[in-house]
Amino acid sequence: MTRLSPWPSLALLACAVGIGLPWLIGDYYLTVALNLAMWIALTQSWTILSGMAGYISLGHVVFFGIGAYCVVVTWQALPLFAAIPLAGLVAAVFAAVTGAPVLRVRGPYFVILTFGIAELVKYIVINIEASSGQASRLLFGTPSVKDLYLVMLALAVAATALAWAVRRSRLGSGLIAIREDEEAAQTFGVPVTRFKVYAFVLAAVIPGMAGGTFVLRSTYFETMQVFDPVISFSIVTMAIIGGSDDARGPVLGAGFLVVLSELLWSTLPQLYLIVLGTLLVVFVLFLPGGLVGLLTRHKRMVAR
Amino acid sequence: MDTLLSGQLLFSALVIGSVYALTGLGLNLVYGTMRLLNIAHGDLAMLGAYLAFWLFSLGQVSPLVAAPLAVIGAAGLGALAYFGLFQRQIERAPAVEKLEANSLLLFLGLSVIVQNVASLAFTASPRAVTYLDSIYRIGGVSMTANRLVILGVSTLICIATALFLRYSVYGLAIKALIQNRSAASVVGVNVGRIQLASMMIGFGLAGLAGALLSMAEQISPFMGFPFTIAAFVVIIMGGLGNLLGGVLAGFLLGFVEIYGVVLTSSNARSIILYGVFVGVLLLRPQGLLGGRRIAR
Repeated sequence: MTRLSPWPSLALLACAVGIGLPWLIGDYYLTVALNLAMWIALTQSWTILSGMAGYISLGHVVFFGIGAYCVVVTWQALPLFAAIPLAGLVAAVFAAVTGAPVLRVRGPYFVILTFGIAELVKYIVINIEASSGQASRLLFGTPSVKDLYLVMLALAVAATALAWAVRRSRLGSGLIAIREDEEAAQTFGVPVTRFKVYAFVLAAVIPGMAGGTFVLRSTYFETMQVFDPVISFSIVTMAIIGGSDDARGPVLGAGFLVVLSELLWSTLPQLYLIVLGTLLVVFVLFLPGGLVGLLTRHKRMVAR
Repeated sequence: MDTLLSGQLLFSALVIGSVYALTGLGLNLVYGTMRLLNIAHGDLAMLGAYLAFWLFSLGQVSPLVAAPLAVIGAAGLGALAYFGLFQRQIERAPAVEKLEANSLLLFLGLSVIVQNVASLAFTASPRAVTYLDSIYRIGGVSMTANRLVILGVSTLICIATALFLRYSVYGLAIKALIQNRSAASVVGVNVGRIQLASMMIGFGLAGLAGALLSMAEQISPFMGFPFTIAAFVVIIMGGLGNLLGGVLAGFLLGFVEIYGVVLTSSNARSIILYGVFVGVLLLRPQGLLGGRRIAR
């Protein structure tokens, strides 16, 4: 007997509730929901390259930071409906330009290279800002939490749909083939380099826009904050905890960690990061499939 | 031009270069023998630095006495990490790629844990001690005693490690393991014991580097990462298992950093370090394995 999967209807329900949320809850919880949407958008985007092709990026914050910087630089010179897509575009262009050389580097070297690039860009932006004599910038007259939340929600939905669509496309199959065995994939005619660069660009667009939206929410810009390596680390941890083989994984991972961070971050940020590190170690050791792996395993056992 | 040729600058470059060489040497051993890419390597230096700092500021213990203790402490952590986590990982890994990826994520988790525990325990604010800060003038170059000690001890330990690897049975076994794992075990190398020894020595060298550094530089819970990056640069430029190459690469990185800062500004220091790192990896995208596998 084939049973319809409950997940598409659940996803639709979640979208409907998501859109209605600003009229149901107060500003505090709306900010939490905004955070949740942001992390879902970031983690889903991350899985397009790092989950499917297995090129684990530890520098995803670079796109987020570039996007944020774009919106800040064009603040009050460009209307926001142009500035936020522009942020995504600039992040994508950065990925396209750096993609080919960066994606020649493989395995663990790719991981530390992405980290190095993110730090390099961070220090370059810090120097640019320092030479213009500004440590941080304040943004006045930013949109309301409600509007920003709706933008972030749209980004989360778009990222989830994108990850879902890519996984079912020729590109997705090619990327998974690259993850399993890059040489074999190349031999069988997968355009390896082109596919990896496509995935890198697709993984960059939404984080760029999310960064632009985030900086409007926080109403000030500090380079250290939007390029914080902790953001990259959180993305990786959310994807590993949730599981990156499935569009449900990042949602679960992000949800879990956003709740945890609400409980711990404001009071004890170090403790939050210690818990994050511990969870990463535990999941890598004992639950490599993440929460989604646990779900599917349970389902298989029930089916038996 | 005068400043560029001054002995002062040369001295600074040698000091930082010798510390990079020492940390790189440790990472080279751990990566070479076990394919564990220890992203927490610099955090061991941080722990060594705090050990020396607390022993000195609370107990008036000289950092020179604390340095061997830091080696022992860090080596103990190496044994703990080996038995607690990585022995199983190495034995069970289906393929080297899987082991490399998993161990990187594990070390990443450990690094975040160690940094934040240190930040909770010691607070995030930077600290410094003044020890051996009398100034010597040799040939018109003024050097503080602590930096002379750092340079001397680091260089000595690098040479001693090179001699150990070249002439002792253990050292030869470590090199055999770096060159060819399965062949090494066929000719009777006790792989398990050599891995444990490499991990302990590698961790110990990082702890030593930190303890030495605490005499002359500010320390903080988050000071480790630049050293990890420097160690990566050193082993990628120098080549896997190539200790002499690694030591030269360490000094070269020290020179690039110090002279780069003089030519631009002190703000550019991080840009230079990460720029060299990104550049080296882009030029040698195969990482270590693509290079000539020398283990003389």
